[in-house]
Amino acid sequence: MSVGRVVATELKPATPHQFHFWTARDTSIGIGSIVRVEDPADAARVVFGVVTDAFAYSDLATPLHDVVSADGDPDRASTAPTIRQEIRLWTAAVLRQFPEDPLQPVPLGRVLVASDADVASALRMDAYLTGAEPTGIPVGLYTSGGLEAPVYLDSDFLLGPEAAHLNISGISGLATKTSAVEFLISSIFQHFPTHRGRVAAVCFNVKGPDLCFLDRPGELQEEDRRRYERLGVRPEPFKRVRYYAPFKPDGVNLNTLRTHPDLVGDVEPLVWGLREALDFAEVLLNKDDIDAKADAFIDFLKDRVVGQPFDDGFGNQHQVETFADLDALFRAILRGVEDSGRGDMWRTHHVATIRKVRNRLSNISTRCKGLVTDDGAVGDLPWGAFEDRGVYVIDVANVDPLGQDLVFARVVSKLRERLEHRNLGVDVVVVFVDELNKYASGDGPETHVKRMLLDISERGRYLGLALFGAEQFRSQVHRRVVGNAGTQVFGRMDADELATPGYQVLSPATKIKLATLPIGELMIRHPHFTQPIFVRFPRPAVMRGRDGVEQFPPGEDLPFEDAIVRQLMKIDRRLKPNVLKDLVASREQEDVRRALAAVRRTRPDDVLAFFRSALGSKVAADVPRERRAVPPLSPISEEPY
Amino acid sequence: MARLAWLDAALAAGAVPASYVPDASGGRSEAEELTGADLVEGSELAVRPLGTEPLVPSAVTFIDGIQRWAVVGYDGVVPIISAYVAAAARRRKGGRLQTVAERSRRVVITAVDGLSDNVRDALQRSGEELITLKDEVLGQPGRALTAAGIQVERLRDAVERAVAEPLAERLPADEWLVIDGILSNSAVLARHARTLGVIKSHGAQYFSGDDLKRALTLPQGHRTSVFQPHRHGSQAVYSWYVRIWPWEGHDLLYGLLRLEARAHRDSIGLADALGSWLLNERKPLSTPDARFDRLLYPIHDVETYLRSRAPQYLVADPGSRLPRTGT
Repeated sequence: MSVGRVVATELKPATPHQFHFWTARDTSIGIGSIVRVEDPADAARVVFGVVTDAFAYSDLATPLHDVVSADGDPDRASTAPTIRQEIRLWTAAVLRQFPEDPLQPVPLGRVLVASDADVASALRMDAYLTGAEPTGIPVGLYTSGGLEAPVYLDSDFLLGPEAAHLNISGISGLATKTSAVEFLISSIFQHFPTHRGRVAAVCFNVKGPDLCFLDRPGELQEEDRRRYERLGVRPEPFKRVRYYAPFKPDGVNLNTLRTHPDLVGDVEPLVWGLREALDFAEVLLNKDDIDAKADAFIDFLKDRVVGQPFDDGFGNQHQVETFADLDALFRAILRGVEDSGRGDMWRTHHVATIRKVRNRLSNISTRCKGLVTDDGAVGDLPWGAFEDRGVYVIDVANVDPLGQDLVFARVVSKLRERLEHRNLGVDVVVVFVDELNKYASGDGPETHVKRMLLDISERGRYLGLALFGAEQFRSQVHRRVVGNAGTQVFGRMDADELATPGYQVLSPATKIKLATLPIGELMIRHPHFTQPIFVRFPRPAVMRGRDGVEQFPPGEDLPFEDAIVRQLMKIDRRLKPNVLKDLVASREQEDVRRALAAVRRTRPDDVLAFFRSALGSKVAADVPRERRAVPPLSPISEEPY
Repeated sequence: MARLAWLDAALAAGAVPASYVPDASGGRSEAEELTGADLVEGSELAVRPLGTEPLVPSAVTFIDGIQRWAVVGYDGVVPIISAYVAAAARRRKGGRLQTVAERSRRVVITAVDGLSDNVRDALQRSGEELITLKDEVLGQPGRALTAAGIQVERLRDAVERAVAEPLAERLPADEWLVIDGILSNSAVLARHARTLGVIKSHGAQYFSGDDLKRALTLPQGHRTSVFQPHRHGSQAVYSWYVRIWPWEGHDLLYGLLRLEARAHRDSIGLADALGSWLLNERKPLSTPDARFDRLLYPIHDVETYLRSRAPQYLVADPGSRLPRTGT
């Protein structure tokens, strides 16, 4: 049944890209509704459009006439026995025309609400939902007038290789950006076409407990379950989730909110050593620190020193594996240069440069304590063994900005490198990064993280690396990061943000809708859709961070001994806590940490024996002998001072 | 102007195309004569304030008609006229109006005997309803146009009655029928207990002297005594004047309505309530119509409805008298 009729006047003509139609006053049509127009003269000619603007007016010639007829009393105006004739006039943007050629103005025909099939056709989804190898990923339900039609994204345009990346923006707390991404990743895992290979997701948790409970079921309402069913997505939490978090500065307690005793066992420590830090020295050292000479010296250390036997030229052999080893090398070089009296150069490097690099590098393990250790221990993502449909959550929420930079830079670089060489374990990786306003701001300083994100945005699709970025203010994110995102998602937006030039293509009505979007509704732009489309998505089937910390409150930081015991028992549950506590009692914490790191790195069969051996024998402190004071040889009694 | 098949046939048969919409084509005229009236309320024409509570029917049906006609061709000096008349009834319930009945009629009016054989044959074969003017109107076109106008008004009255009378006969007990114009040319309407004729043109004169002065200088919110007009239409009705907008500063007839109801003593009792009701009907204003001071909005709405459905070629085009270009 028709709901409206296309009208065209000289001032408001129908064009190949836009048309106007009227409906009854009571209608299900609204901004974002998809409609079908039929040509009364040609049954084969059909046009689909999406409503972008709406007008209502009555036959009132001028507002003054309303005042006159009510004698200036607004209450009397409402008692008028007859309600004026009024119109609901809608403007729609053309989504698709049949036939597509020749492209002609929209016919002045009747307007119908689009059906399921019409929505698929209007959004050109038929191109990737049908055929031998469909590539549709459900993203939400288009809802209008009682109709709920699933909307699909084309995985070839979401995850590559044709286009890639998704950018989602909106007001914090109201735009449900994280929820939308969680649902979409779940949908990707269930619908990613098998012929496209294996897929995984790496999610950086940058605030609070947002992504800390992805393996736990969330609370769903009946409406959510119905939407899941309609979209063909199973409402279940992620099955393969791995959590990574650096230690706190104490080196034994994990720096994450997933520290409830029942859950903390799943969290792997993220700890990097000298080699990992040195590879990304440019991230950790700012431009003022690193001039060309220092850069050359760091390269020298990376290429010629670290991880291999090295002769310092003064008769000392070094095997540099840790920051401690590196510092020993620096000391030896500086002492050697000083003692030799041969000038200020060592192997073409000036002593001042060496001192500067020593100073900066030595500070890294202090500044990134908990993430970077100076004892060489490494806890890392399973490079080369990524699981299909696995989610790797890296919790850097409580890590200082420098540490976050290092984590982003290294993880993304490794992903890129591994995907390039096809030895990551999966073929496609979704990288989810929230707070792009912070990490890829349009007007902020040039950081390494920003360069990384730009690199993913521009080259990722060829590698199978898709960036899912989220931010509050899209206008303030680097335009190449946003511009390269093939799919753009908008939650509820701030009115000031909507006033920026990036939103000029949207009609005022669409902007108002965006500014008042309810939770769970999004506007989507996708390469196949010629106009933005509004969809509703169900609540993600995983526990929300807020609920997670209520149900699984983070555990208190454990005393040093208890934390060590927990770490060791995580490796071997047969160990006895009392034995371990006796072992570490009254030992230097540095020694204990080093021994624990060795156990973690080696994963021996006999953990206790290895730990004991790594800890070494207890060395009793020498008690200094009391010395008698030596009297002066010739006291000067006349000394006035 | 859109070309009509019957006109094409007439033109092919030798008629000359024309495009002339007479000034009188849009509305009906009222005889300007002193007809006189008998007072049925009081001994002299009095001015009374509309003090009582207004009548508030549960639903009201408003009826109006339109007429459109234009000279579309000439055969010699005989005008060939295309005419359209229509009437509609729109029922108001809950403040909103909805069409409940409508009729329309398209006719060709000409002095058939004055036409050449070819043109006459073409028109007669066209299947259009043909109304013949008498031979005596032949000559100057003005006479034919006057006669055509009378024909069109008769047609309009007929379609209005055809719409109104069946509705009046089955009108629910708590509803009213309001007709734009007189009731006295329909027995059904004139005798019905809940029909009201609203007349906004005042060509007919029922009083003279002080009575006329009192009638035409009614203050706003007042009515005259009820009277029975003489020789107006064929049916007896009661009538009274009501002023819904103050005339001072405008014109004597500004905001002046004459109402007609059945010739029954109950009508006298209802005169105040009906007048107060119409006072309420001032809002909303029926602008941009220039007659908004007397044109009730629902009637304006019916008229708008009918106009929107009328053939556009019968609407006067401001540029139609300009010389035609070659294209």
